[in-house]
Formats: sequence, C-alpha cells, structure tokens
Amino acid sequence: MPDAKLPLTLMLFLPFASSAATALMPAGARNLVAWLAGLTALAVFGLGLWAAPEIYAGTVLRAQYAWLPEYGLNFSIRLDGFAWAFAMIVSGIGALVVLYARYYMSPDDSAPRFFAFLLGFMGAMLGVVISGNLIQLVFFWELTSLFSFLLIAYWHHKDAARDGARMALTVTAAGGLSLFAGMLIIGHIVGSYELDVVLSSGRTIVDHAMYPAALALVAFGALTKSAQFPFHFWLPRAMTAPTPVSAYLHSATMVKAGVFLLARMWPVMAASDYWFWVFTPVGAATLLIGAFLAMFQQDLKGLLAYSTISHLGLIVLLLGLGSPLAAVAAIFHMINHATFKASLFMAAGIIDHEAGTRDIRQLGGLYRAMPITATLAMAAAAAMAGVPLLNGFLSKEMFFAETIESHVDSAFDHTLPYLATLAGMFSVAYSLRLIDQVFFGPEATDLPRKPHDPAIWMLAPAALLALMCLLVGVLPTWTISGFLSAAVFGVLGALTPEYSLAVWHGLTPALLMSVVALGGGTLTYLGLKDYLSGAVEGPPLLRRLSGKRLFERAIAMLSWRWARVLEELLGTNRLQSQLRALVVIMVLAGCWPLLAGAGFSPAAALASVGVWLGNTWLSPRWLTSSAPMVGMFDPALLLVWAVGVACAVGAAWQAKYHRLVALILMGGSGLATSITFVWYSAPDLALTQLLVEIVTVVLILLGLRWMPRRDELIPDDQLTSARLRRLRDLFIAIAAGCGVAALAFAVLTSEQTATIGDEMIRRAHPEGGGHNVVNVILVDFRGFDTLGEITVLGAVAITVFALLRRFRPARDSFAAPDQKRFQTEYDSTRYAPGKDPINAHYMLVQGVIIRLLFPVICAMAAFLFMRGHDLPGGGFIGGLTFAIAFILQYIAGGARWVEDRLVVLPVRWIGAGILLAAATGLGALLFGRPFLTTAFRYVELPLFGKTPMASALSFDLGVFALVFGATVLMLIAIAHQSIRVYRTMEKASVREKAAARSRGDV
Amino acid sequence: MIAIKTLPDWAALLTAFLVLAGAALTMIGAIGLVRFRSFYERVHAPTLGATLGIGGVLLASMVYFSVSETRPVVHEILIALFVTVTTPVTMLMLTQATLYRDRAEGKAPKITDAPPLPADVITPDRTGVRQD
Repeated sequence: MPDAKLPLTLMLFLPFASSAATALMPAGARNLVAWLAGLTALAVFGLGLWAAPEIYAGTVLRAQYAWLPEYGLNFSIRLDGFAWAFAMIVSGIGALVVLYARYYMSPDDSAPRFFAFLLGFMGAMLGVVISGNLIQLVFFWELTSLFSFLLIAYWHHKDAARDGARMALTVTAAGGLSLFAGMLIIGHIVGSYELDVVLSSGRTIVDHAMYPAALALVAFGALTKSAQFPFHFWLPRAMTAPTPVSAYLHSATMVKAGVFLLARMWPVMAASDYWFWVFTPVGAATLLIGAFLAMFQQDLKGLLAYSTISHLGLIVLLLGLGSPLAAVAAIFHMINHATFKASLFMAAGIIDHEAGTRDIRQLGGLYRAMPITATLAMAAAAAMAGVPLLNGFLSKEMFFAETIESHVDSAFDHTLPYLATLAGMFSVAYSLRLIDQVFFGPEATDLPRKPHDPAIWMLAPAALLALMCLLVGVLPTWTISGFLSAAVFGVLGALTPEYSLAVWHGLTPALLMSVVALGGGTLTYLGLKDYLSGAVEGPPLLRRLSGKRLFERAIAMLSWRWARVLEELLGTNRLQSQLRALVVIMVLAGCWPLLAGAGFSPAAALASVGVWLGNTWLSPRWLTSSAPMVGMFDPALLLVWAVGVACAVGAAWQAKYHRLVALILMGGSGLATSITFVWYSAPDLALTQLLVEIVTVVLILLGLRWMPRRDELIPDDQLTSARLRRLRDLFIAIAAGCGVAALAFAVLTSEQTATIGDEMIRRAHPEGGGHNVVNVILVDFRGFDTLGEITVLGAVAITVFALLRRFRPARDSFAAPDQKRFQTEYDSTRYAPGKDPINAHYMLVQGVIIRLLFPVICAMAAFLFMRGHDLPGGGFIGGLTFAIAFILQYIAGGARWVEDRLVVLPVRWIGAGILLAAATGLGALLFGRPFLTTAFRYVELPLFGKTPMASALSFDLGVFALVFGATVLMLIAIAHQSIRVYRTMEKASVREKAAARSRGDV
Repeated sequence: MIAIKTLPDWAALLTAFLVLAGAALTMIGAIGLVRFRSFYERVHAPTLGATLGIGGVLLASMVYFSVSETRPVVHEILIALFVTVTTPVTMLMLTQATLYRDRAEGKAPKITDAPPLPADVITPDRTGVRQD
C-alpha cells in the first residue's frame, strides 16, 4: 500500500486552501477564480483516480494526525470504497458545477465570493465523507450547514434568499447538534470515536441500552439534513439559491450527507426493529408526499426540490428496510440521483437564464428555441421517472423488488409495494409534466427574454451528466458496476450480497410495478393537465399543511413568546432581585455541607448545627479561657465592636429612607474594623481598610445624588405585600450575615497547627528581600494571584465606566438638589458668572486647604509606596492614597475646574499598570527564571541612603498605577454624570424656548 | 504597656499627665456633644478633642519616645499640623451644610441676624486665588 497520508490530506485541504485564496482575489477576476476552483475540483478528482486501484482492491486508505490523543481524539482521514465513491461524486460534479457557474453567474455578482463559498462547501463535504473520526465528521457536517447558509443567501439583498438560508441553517444545524449528541453516545458505547473501531464493533451498539437514544439523535440529524418529512420544508425554500448551488448542494452533496451517514452507520446500527420503524415509515411518507407535492409545483426548481425530497425518501426507505440488498439499491440510487438531478437542475437554470422565468405556466414550446437543452432535460427527466434504458430505471427496479420482500412482518410492510408503485406513478407524472409543459405545447409568447440554447460550455456539464445517465442505463455492467461494487463493499464489507445490474431480469413483479407506474403516471398527468395549467398555486389537499408555516410559528414561539415568558420568570431589570438571588444562593451553598451531612432532614440539620455550635462555642477550651481568648475580651476593643455593630445595624435600619445616614453608619462600622486590625497588629490591613473605606464612602456618596427620591409617603410602600417582602429580605439578610459570621468565627477559633503563614513569615526576608510579609506575599510569593486580581480590578473599573457612560438618571433626580439651587441663587446675586467656583462658593476655606494639601497627599502616596516592601504600605495603599488626592480636588473644585488644569488619563494608567506588572514578571524569563521571579538587593542612593531595590518594586509600581487608574476612572465616570445631565437639561430648555418662540411667532 | 516602667519617673509622670489631660479634654468634648441642644452649639464641643485633646496626647507621645529612644522624636508635630489644618475643613462643611438645609426648610435664624457667610466677607479680588 502506497503512503496515503499526503494525498489524503491534500484531498481534504486543497479546497479549503483554494477557498481562502479565492476569497482574497479581486472581484473582477472571474475567469481566474473559476479556473482555480475548477482545477481544485479536478485535482481532488485526480487524487481520487490515483486511489482508485487500491480502492477497487478493497483496501482502506488512512491518514492520521495526533490531535488530542489522550482523549482518544485524532484527526483522521479514512477512505474506503463508499467514502471514495462520494468523494468522486463531490469533486466530479463539483468540477462540472464550477464550469456551469462560470457561465451562469452574471458579471454583477462577486465571483470570488461565490467560488470561495463553493470551494469551502466542497471541502466541508469532503470532510464529511472521508472523516475517520465521528467528532470530526460532525464538525465538517456543521461546516456544510454553514457554507450552505452562505451559498443560499448568496444574493443577500433578497429577502427570500435570507429567509430561506436562515431556515435551512436553523433546521440542519439543529440536526447537527443532535447528531453530535448521538455521536457522543455512540463513542461512549463503543469506547472510541474512530470510525474503524465503530464499524468493527458488530452488534455492540444495537445491543446497548442506550441504542434507542443514539438512534433517535442520529436519526434527527440525518433526517433534517436529507430533508425528510416532516423536516423537508427548508429544501424548497432553499431554492432561492443560485441554480449552480442547487445543482450541487440540493442534488448531489449537501442533502446526500444525511443518507450518506445512514448508510455509513448502517452496518452497526440497522440490525434492529427500531431502525426499521424509524426510517421506513419516514422514508415512505417522504417519498409519497414529496412526489405528490412535486406534481403541483409551478416553479421549475420547486418541482425539482420536491422531487429531490421524494427521491431522498426513497433512499431512506431502502436503508430502513435493513436488508443488504436494499442497502445496495440505496447506494446505487444515491449515485444515480446525483447525476440526473444535477443535470436537471442545470437545465432548469439554463431555462431560467435564457427565458427569464421558471414559472411552468408561462413556459411552453421551448423545444424549438432550445433543442439541445430540451433533449438533455428529457433524458435526465426520463431517468428521474424510471424509464427503461436509463440509470434511474435500474435503481428503481431494485427498489420495487425490495419493497416486495418481507422485512418486518406487519401490515405496513405488506402495503409497501403499493405505496411504492403509487409514488412511482407520481414521479412519472411530474417528470412528464416538466417535459411536456416546458418544451412542448403552444409556444410561449410573453417570456421576458427570447430563449435560445446557451453557450456550449454551459451545456457541457449537463450534457455530460445526461450522457452518464444514458450510458449507465444501457450498459450498467461496463460502466458503473466497478464503481458501485467498490462503494457497496465499503459499506457492507463481508455482508455484500449477490446482485445483478442487468437491464432485463425477465418478467418479474418489479417490472410489472414499473409498467403500472409508467402507465398510471401518464394517465395521472393527462387527468391533471388542465388543473395544473390553471393559476392554482400549490397542491389541492396538502396546501394547508405547510411545514414552513409550522416552522415559522415554532420559531416565533421559541424565540419570541417563550423567551418572553422565561425572561419574565427569570430575568429582571431590578438590581434588588438580582442581589437577592445572589445572596439566597450563597446562603444555600453555605448550608449545603451541613444539610448534606445531616441527610437532608431539617431536624437532623438543626441538631448538627447545634452540635457544631456546642463544639465551637462551648468547648472546654473556650471555658478555660486560654491566652488568645483573653485578648479577645479586652473591654476597649469590645466597646469598639459594640459601636461597629451598632453602626452596621443602624445602616441596615436606615438604608430604606435615609441613604446618607446609612452610608455614614457604614463608614463607622468600617472604621471599627480598621481599628480591630490595628489592635491585632495588622497595620497593613488597617491602612488598606481605612483607605478603601474612605474611597468607597466618597464614591457612593457621589452616586447617591442620582438615586431617585424615596420617602415614607409612597403609598405602595405601606402595602402588606411590601411589608412581607421586606420581612423576607430581613430574614435572608440575617441568615446570610449570621452564616458568614459563624463561618468566620469557626475558622478563627479552630485549632491552628502549622500554617502556610508561618512559612511565609520565615521566608519573607531571606527569599523575598522584604520585612513586610504582606507586601512580599502580594508582589512576590503570590505575584501571579496579584496579577490576576489587578487585571480584574481594571476590568471592573472599565465596566463601571461603560455602564455609567450610558446611564440616564430618573427624571425626578434631574433637578439640582435644594442646597445647590439655593447656593446658585445666592451666588448669582453677588458674583459674575463663569468665575472660579471657589471664589463664589461656600467652599472657600475648605477649597483652598484641599488644594494646598494636594502635593502633600501625593508625597504621602509616594512615601507609602516606596516603603511598602519593609513597612506597611505598598502599591495598593499608595495607589489608593494617590487617588484620594484627586478625589479631593474633584470635590473641592468640581470636575471642570480640575480637568482644565490636570490631565488625568485613567485608562492609560490602568493599561500601563497591567503592562508594567506583566513585563516585570516576564523580565524574570530573560534571566532564565520562572515567570514573576523576584530579584532584590540594596542600593546606595545619593539622598535616601541604603535603599532596598527589588524587582518586585517595579511590579508594585504596576499595582500602584492600576489601582490609581481604576479608582480615578470610577470617580470620573460619576463626576461627568453631573456635567452631562446639566448639559442635556440646558439643551432641553433651549429647545423648549425655541419651541415657545416659534409658537409665539405663529 | 510594660515599657513605661523603664522610663525615669519625671518622664513617666509627665507622659501620664499629658495623656490623661488630653483624654480628659476629649471626654469633656464628647460630653458636650451629648449635652448641647442645637447643632450649632454642638459643633463647638468636639473641637476640644481635636485641638487640646490631641495636642496633649501628641506631646505625651513626643516625651515618651524621645526619652525611651534617647533621641528627639518630633514627627508628632506633623500630625498636629495636619490635624489642625484639616479639622476645620470638616467643621466648616458640616456647619454650612446645616445652615443651608435649615434655610431651605425655613428654620434658620434670619439672614440679618445670622453671622455673614464667609463668601459675604471676602470678595473675590481679595482671595489671592487664581482667577479665570
């Protein structure tokens, strides 16, 4: 066996490569892209020819690349007879379609875009057929859906094209998802996603308990792709695609993917009654309904689309029968249908192109104007009808013979031959109608264009395909038998039955059925002729049964009504309910271990809580009051805590109607926490807490301005339901608060053995070069965590900015607060407008002091930052202090005054901070150390003396910049709110004045 | 605080006196805060703690650390400076906010009776602050 790796890989990737190259070409290069696309298809075809001897000998060619081998996933290509046959069809018909499309597409259409999509689709389809891995197959499967979407919507300026494309994508991609699930189950059952392993698994899948689920999922995928009833409706709608696309996708390739997959899985999944009862009825229904509907189509391509649905139903029915001979017939019909249907689509495209319409009622007598086209179409249509001496006859004969055989003994099985004959009659009728009403009868007079035969190269592809129909039909053993037996052997392997491709089998029941179908079909057509020539659109009985309407309703239901209902049920615009959900879930998550431990019984849960409390609160250790417990009960600290708790409770109490009070009280409890940290010798934490407290309170304070007014007189607030709601919230809040407190207490009082903290304290100076353990942990030991945290902080700041940028406050908080109004009035009587606000401002003394303090605070920030490595301080604290300096300036002078004088670019500070921190970390890599390794030493600086210089300092500088930038960004976001609102108010008042003036003029 | 035993008696006594004096003054201020009736009166009481009270504690700190470390420790002066500079800011803001609110609600003393606002006294051209 020759090395197949390179040819197989080329086979798969050439189309994609050409697609990318084509997409980059200029729009005018029509011939160039057509040549490229055609040569690509021919190259793939040539590679197929190269592989032919091996394939005919029954070899399976494989190429494999490791992808995620540890998960059993490899990128593998597997070319057996069946895949090869399909690859030949895909590339062969692909080449013909390219040639056809070159003459079909008008110069106004973008040729590179069209051929790029077409080549992409060809690659995806090849991917489906020659994939050696189930997951990979599904990937390419979805890719075909995607490219088909792009191709159907090629004329995207047309509504119908967009709708049709969207519908096709929705249906087939949903099927693809289902198929993916099915493939996962199959992979689970077999233990491998490799097609080789799956195909050699024998009855493993059928005997597994999950077989029905796998079957249902795979069936949904395959049936939607192959447009089977009741999912057939997307295919007629997809006829809005350019005709070359229909000729390619909707005859030979895309829609064949479904039946391809069924045939592929046939050896390992068909040996079950489920298989029969899923596919045979569906196939039969599709066969009949498709053929019936096809008779009544007035659009040439619509007729072909329904006929395609019907023929695909025939193939599905055959595959569903579960006998090897039926599978042979199915594979044979796949090949035959691809040839005659592609040829017919091309003919329909030629008629549309030359006559300017596809409406069968308008067309007529075209034989005289375009004899060659008419002859080709007649040959292909006869093949479609199953006329002897054409390829369609052979596979249809096999189909009739198979329906007579008994498979799963039942009434349905026994009526199959009659159904098949009926469908055959319909098929003959619509084929006859196609030929008779388009090419014969009275010559059409009102055509948009004067029809004539097209250029030879546009005819050639259709001619070649029609010729193949004829050759295969007359001399099957010389032409198709090798190709077919290779394909059949690829699917059935050792199961391959004896079959004969002879045209004449003697006087068999199948022949009788063919004769009845031909005769009955002719009579049906003659009977319906007058009805069809009328202006009626659509079939008589099934007009109401519109899959399209059902689909649209389902989509409206899903994407509109149900979505609305869900949104009403689960979604909210109110922050309160979101926070409530968050807290409730947190409480539940906290209770989970306790409840789970108690076996979910509430009584036992309470008992376990009791036991736990007893163990922690009432333990002997507690009563004997060992040393740390004494420290805890220092009366002074207890007093601080009492104040803190009172503040916290008061904040909650006042939060509803007196937000300012609540905020101040919150600040008070924060101070209590800060003092606690000082008490327990954690100056770093205390400092941080203090600064965070200041910044938070000030920023919230600035935001309070924009909250809508609340007072106790709002009537809704006094309703019972409102009271109950508040009671419930109170309960939730108490539960959450007590839970967190209990957890904290449990952690603090639990027995501490050697912790990582001791280790870090021991190593901080020798390894990190700093005496401040907290800072060394932040910038060195846990530098990576810090890097992540500051990134989050930056993202949060930008999010806040983005949210506030589009924030429009409630109407009732537009007006300036009383105090501000009062002040402005007062000032306007005394001072000229436009002065520095501080002059005409009640903030005079304070403003001057705050401005004078600006450099002092900045120096303080720098000091805190520099000493951070050894003493309390560091980047975070320094950055916050620096930000406070700016906040104070904004408070004292107003946003406009500050920004006239200081250029603050907080976003750049944020960016620079992250970059600096990351760059410092990367610097370690230059010295061959891991990311974020710190170097340190002491340096003699002229003014400062011996100074510790660690590379962590540069990292910390990044933290500093980021914290500063983030805080100031939020500040600016809030501060600009007032400027913007007054600006909009001014605009509105100007507008009103103008309107009033114009009214006065009138 | 065991270390106070290592100080000479005079220093220990001085430190104790200063700390207690500062604390007592602050305490008086706190009592005043509770006892006074109106906001305008109350504003005055806590300033006792912010000036003399903190002064006493800071002096005590200077004495204690200067003696125990046998070198002059004077950075408390900076603390005193900043406290002195910044406390009035808070007080002024609070008082003015109250005054404005009372005026808006019509509860304030009549403007003619009330002491003039700072902005009334100092005209823009005399502030020395940059003008635009």
